[in-house]
Amino acid sequence: MASNRVLIASPRFICRSCSRQARSSGSYRRSYATASSSQDIYDVVCIGGGPAGLSLLTALRANPTTSRLRVALVEAQDLSKTASLSLPPTQFSNRCSSLTPTTAQFLNTIGAWPHMKRSRIQEFHEMQVWDGVTDARIEFDYQLGSTASPGGVIAYMAENINITSGLLKRINEIGGVDVFASSRVEKITLGEETEDLDLREWPVVHLQGGKSLAARLLVGADGANSPVRSFARIESRGWDYNRHGVVATLELEGDGWGGEYRKTAYQRFLPTGPVAMLPLPGNHATLVWSTTPENASLLKKLSTKDFIALVNSAFRLGPVDLAYMHTQATGQEDEFAWRTQHTHFDAEAIPQLVVGVQEGSIASFPLKFRHADTYIGERVALVGDAAHTVHPLAGQGLNQGQGDIQSLVKTIEYAVAHGQDLGTQMSLESYNSERYAANHVLMGVCDKIHKLYSVESGPLIPLRSLGLKAANALGPLKSFFMEQASGRGLRV
Amino acid sequence: MAAPTRAVAGVASGLSRLVSRSRPRLPIASISVSTPAKTAAASSRWHSGFSSVNPNEVSHFNALAAEWWEPHGSSRLLHLMNPLRHDFIRSCRESSDDPNSVTYLDIGCGGGIFAESAARLATTKHVTAIDPTPSVLNVAKAHARKDPSLAGKLSYLQSSVEQLEVPAEGQGYDVVTLFEVIEHIDDPGAFLERVRPLVKPGGWLVMSTIARTWVSWLTTNLIAEDILRIVPPGTHDWNKYINEGELRGYLAGKGWDSAKVMGVVYVPGFGWREVKGSEKVGNYFFAVRKA
Repeated sequence: MASNRVLIASPRFICRSCSRQARSSGSYRRSYATASSSQDIYDVVCIGGGPAGLSLLTALRANPTTSRLRVALVEAQDLSKTASLSLPPTQFSNRCSSLTPTTAQFLNTIGAWPHMKRSRIQEFHEMQVWDGVTDARIEFDYQLGSTASPGGVIAYMAENINITSGLLKRINEIGGVDVFASSRVEKITLGEETEDLDLREWPVVHLQGGKSLAARLLVGADGANSPVRSFARIESRGWDYNRHGVVATLELEGDGWGGEYRKTAYQRFLPTGPVAMLPLPGNHATLVWSTTPENASLLKKLSTKDFIALVNSAFRLGPVDLAYMHTQATGQEDEFAWRTQHTHFDAEAIPQLVVGVQEGSIASFPLKFRHADTYIGERVALVGDAAHTVHPLAGQGLNQGQGDIQSLVKTIEYAVAHGQDLGTQMSLESYNSERYAANHVLMGVCDKIHKLYSVESGPLIPLRSLGLKAANALGPLKSFFMEQASGRGLRV
Repeated sequence: MAAPTRAVAGVASGLSRLVSRSRPRLPIASISVSTPAKTAAASSRWHSGFSSVNPNEVSHFNALAAEWWEPHGSSRLLHLMNPLRHDFIRSCRESSDDPNSVTYLDIGCGGGIFAESAARLATTKHVTAIDPTPSVLNVAKAHARKDPSLAGKLSYLQSSVEQLEVPAEGQGYDVVTLFEVIEHIDDPGAFLERVRPLVKPGGWLVMSTIARTWVSWLTTNLIAEDILRIVPPGTHDWNKYINEGELRGYLAGKGWDSAKVMGVVYVPGFGWREVKGSEKVGNYFFAVRKA
């Protein structure tokens, strides 16, 4: 890939294919230099250096058809810290994602997986999901399923920083991406018309400090409040769940009931929202607890001992006990010790006891449902959270984003191979039609499950536990969770 | 018999749409080589020499020029068909020894849908695109300014085939394209003879057109022109549509070989698809290699 490095070192104000012509014809560079001296022209400018944005650029650079494109990344944060990933082996970030085998395979195909720290990734083979009100339970175990994935892996738990770090290392390895890190976007405008060029339909990203990048295709991987989406005047609709997701890195009393090599993910539906404990290497686990904003703020205020007690209670005690314990400012540890003596449960059907919580790892964020009206505009594409924000209960947020990237890269590849202008809405149509429907269905199902299990009493309760029990005998819910978790679900 | 009926309906609606989308291309229809009267009128206005551009038709389609690049405008079906043209050309050139510096001549380029896309390909050295209609060429040139990567790789000429300089023996373009052109020519055989010197020996002449069948008559003439009036009546002369066998006849014994054909069908909701054997029914691509 030496040639790419050479090209990057060449004057930056013309795109790669143009610079090739400039060398042969000699006329183009002159004409463009008079057009605008401080503006760079790119085929793809991606705003946002999260997992979606980074894997887009990695995939474009790794693909022989798209590797000739001139691409740039704009990210507000300093990416050098991300790339280095300097956490000690016993410490885990509280922002983790479950990667489906499909996503893991994609990351491997684009060459990022080998750059991730494998010792910090934990696969799991079983899932236990149950209703906190009725105790109806679904067990997921690939040994019983006929659709077993290789090695029986349902999903891989990985820290987001491990994913982004692996992608960044891969990008550095291939080269050819102009990275503008620690760069704030001042504004996005449309380009201008000059004597030789008409860039009035091209988005131009103005960075703080005066630099501006003209984009054949501007990709918004810039999160739920996407400035790219606002620029494109694409509405994002949805609602807030009035729930917060509380996350924490936990230490358990052991490596799990199945030991080091056979891990289980747990999720219990409480009336306030689902609480999930997902395995990390060794005796570590990550907590994702969707609950009311009031409960979330209590959880963050509790002492470590009381926090641990409330987490243990969440997987063991009844909703009434739990509700009561949320009214106390302190003393949850004693309450838990006393109440567990009077509660019956199958120890091996729930996670092992939490014995510690990593310092500073408890955090919370509001849960939202958002879906953009469309993922594309003229010379604009939205990916990941910029396009859709989903309830985390099926662990699909990051995987949906990676699904977007695979589809968008395929669309760009087709455009390049057939001489289409890859930024035009017509070239992008297949991306929108392929991903919009798939995401819409998944988001709708997650939303309905959330609402169904938020009800504490009334006619829905016996119906849903009937549903969960039926689901355990291979009902639709079971296959939904199973197939979503492993990335094979709901193809539309 | 529900399924076959629906299938025909799909073909039919596709064809009718294609024809309606084809309107801006019609100036090309006047690249005719058979009527001396027309030729005289055209040459006095546009250029000297032997040509046949009809000024009446040219002005008739001036107004449609602006719609060329509207993604949901009247050329949408042509935009959607364009990638298949490249797939077809690629399949023709599979065994070419010089795959990376291809020169193209696009005859009847219109607003430049194919010409631009050919110029963007990494394997393309240069594209020359000609059309006799100034307003259409202005649209093409203005649109090309929107993409910096096209400068230096794409030239537009207001020209007829006859006006082009005939390359020296053994020279010429690697690929000469005639997309949705040949069915508007009065004497296709003579016209193709004029095109032949422009093709490099070993290079390809690639075209697309519509077969003359009851389906195409129904869709392009009766429905599109007379019933729905999405195409001005009299635009298409069904009698000029060319069947694949006739094309082969025009080219037989004239220094061409390796004829290839690909039938395509527009299926609403899915786009253009290659359908084996459909060249006998409606739209198809056809190519021959210059010996």
